[in-house]
Amino acid sequence: MSKIKRLIAGAGALLMMCTFSSAVSATESYDPYGYDRWGDAVSSQVGYSAEEFVDGKMIKGLYERISVMEGFDFDDDKWKSLLQLKEPSDIFVSHDEKLYIVDKGNNRIIITDFDFGLIDILDSFEVDGKATKLNAPQGVFVDQYTGSIYICDTDNDRVLKCDSEGVVDKVFTKPTSEIYSQDLTFKPEKVVVDKAGNVYVVVGSVTKGSVMYDINGEFLGFFGANRVEQTSEVIMNAFWNMIATQAQRDRSVRSTAVGFDNFDIDDMGFIYTVSESADVKTDMVKKVNPEGTNILATLGAEDVVFGDQPPAYWSIYTKNSSIVDIDIGPNGELNLLDFAHGRVFQYDEKANLMFVMGGIGNQLGTFQNAVAIETNDDLIYVVDSRKNGITVFKRTEFGEIVTEATNLYNSGHYDESYGPWTEVVKRDGNYRRAYIGIGNALLGQSRYKEAMKYFKIALSRKRYNRAFEGYRDEILQKWLTPVAVTLIILLIAGFVLKQLEKNGVIRMPWNRKRGA
Amino acid sequence: MLDLTQPQFVKHVIMHPFEGFEDLRWKKAGDMRIATFIVFLLFFQQLAYNRLYGFQYYSDYDKVFNIIPYISSSFGLFILYVVCNWAMCTLFDGEGSLRNIYIVTAYSLIPYIVGYLVGTFLSHVLVRDEAIFIDTIQIIGLAWTVVLFISAMKAVHQFTFFKTILLILLTLVAMVLCIFLLVLLLTLFQQVMIFVFTLYTEISYKFRV
Repeated sequence: MSKIKRLIAGAGALLMMCTFSSAVSATESYDPYGYDRWGDAVSSQVGYSAEEFVDGKMIKGLYERISVMEGFDFDDDKWKSLLQLKEPSDIFVSHDEKLYIVDKGNNRIIITDFDFGLIDILDSFEVDGKATKLNAPQGVFVDQYTGSIYICDTDNDRVLKCDSEGVVDKVFTKPTSEIYSQDLTFKPEKVVVDKAGNVYVVVGSVTKGSVMYDINGEFLGFFGANRVEQTSEVIMNAFWNMIATQAQRDRSVRSTAVGFDNFDIDDMGFIYTVSESADVKTDMVKKVNPEGTNILATLGAEDVVFGDQPPAYWSIYTKNSSIVDIDIGPNGELNLLDFAHGRVFQYDEKANLMFVMGGIGNQLGTFQNAVAIETNDDLIYVVDSRKNGITVFKRTEFGEIVTEATNLYNSGHYDESYGPWTEVVKRDGNYRRAYIGIGNALLGQSRYKEAMKYFKIALSRKRYNRAFEGYRDEILQKWLTPVAVTLIILLIAGFVLKQLEKNGVIRMPWNRKRGA
Repeated sequence: MLDLTQPQFVKHVIMHPFEGFEDLRWKKAGDMRIATFIVFLLFFQQLAYNRLYGFQYYSDYDKVFNIIPYISSSFGLFILYVVCNWAMCTLFDGEGSLRNIYIVTAYSLIPYIVGYLVGTFLSHVLVRDEAIFIDTIQIIGLAWTVVLFISAMKAVHQFTFFKTILLILLTLVAMVLCIFLLVLLLTLFQQVMIFVFTLYTEISYKFRV
């Protein structure tokens, strides 16, 4: 009898294992994870799964376009490399649904549609009637209002503004103003343009922020500099400078902020900057308003540590995150690309971590030398300059639910977010934000007791406190009157009995012995 | 005059900070069992303060739980203080015996324990805006214990006030020294153990081959 039972149990367990393993929607080449309240990594569900890896061969029409060109020779290395991407360095999704891929090693910009079908190749340009070529371009930006293409022609020390035919309208070169120290080189790496047509250029040698031009190409100054990190050395230097003479001061080391390395602009006109330096944590990620100040702090994100949390034990193998690129998603998500770990960190607009994906490796979904990231609705493109291609991540069903819940929650629709958040908890019990979301929805419905339970799971003391306050009011309203009435009745009864005993009418049992 | 039972004496001592301990000494009162019970309460109070506090105020890193820190910060610290104080008072011609020091030290801790236990209880009733009540109760308990404590040391050793303060400070220094020696001793024992173990391994190899 027990044997049969055991057999059935075993079969049941096997069946369960099968169903569980099939429940995981996609098998990724890395372990997805998130962080709990204490900053410890906990495993998570897959929010984005790697769909495909696109290299030169995968770009439809590229071979046909190159092979019919004059002098094409399949055995020539120069022509062969043109059939591939070579050290791609940037990607841009334009508003007219085109992908702009900067093929740095081949000195060209490849324009494709969203299915990676070739539309055009930009490799020769016309400046004032003269033809010119690119030299190791590193950045591209398409203005959504005018349609102009801005290209960082890095090794030619210039930024080109051209139309889709390659006719250059304006060339931005090294400013001659005395604000821009003429000792510095001018190697433009990334470019963005705001609504007013102001052009912002990240230049590697400049630490004062991005170089800013107005719509006519006039140099305006620097924009959005980082702050100097307050290390003990910096404070010590400030102290010595206070008591030093001018001559000594001139010889001392200057404290210079780390310049930011990449940026993106959202539809509201806010510029988001990231700094690659792995040692400096100050202003690693900034959201800069037009005045040039960081407003991430006003979103309640002043103490957010972006990228991988510092591990408990340091070793020589431990690397700090090194954020090389940022892209703002359609719902204001911050997508950060970590070069050191080859990971993409997706945060919501309030800088709460949503998903982590990627890793270092050779499989699909991992990277060797990740340099650029771009989002396109529910897709994320990551450019790898060593694998010479673009990895496409697609949001999974789970990611879809989390995004929906997050958007509802962040726009203040707590009630509506209750459903999606419950679905998230069902799929991933480690997802802390879901518990907070459910708790807030319950709090809005005055279901305090349940809200307390969820806030406790999320380890959120502040929110628990709010739910507890409501719960206590509820209890008080229910019990205060009966308890008070009972107490008063008891007090009066005691008083009456005491008086009666004093007058000798009755005698209390505990006083009987002594009295007798 | 002062014909009190032992539990009544506890109450008397706490309610009369200035002559209570003198009366205790004069009457040769004080009960080891009650004192030990108080130390157990201290242990429980430490535990409750960290583990049973209202969630809206405090949430501990509860992935690991280790009882040793609680034992050492209640029993350990208490016994260390009593022994060190006794050791110091012999140098200063204090009158207290080890038993008396044990009893009065434990008695003087009552307001502190009660204050923090009440605070812990209230933390389940009050919201964060009302934390001031909890703080007040805890501070009053602590201050009361300090007064009782000085008075207890003064009475048990029959010292002047300043000598008492000096004794307490020196006791603290002695405690630090004790801990230092303890750590040293432990490391030494570890070394000895490693030595013995190595010897054993060597010999066992010798016989095995």
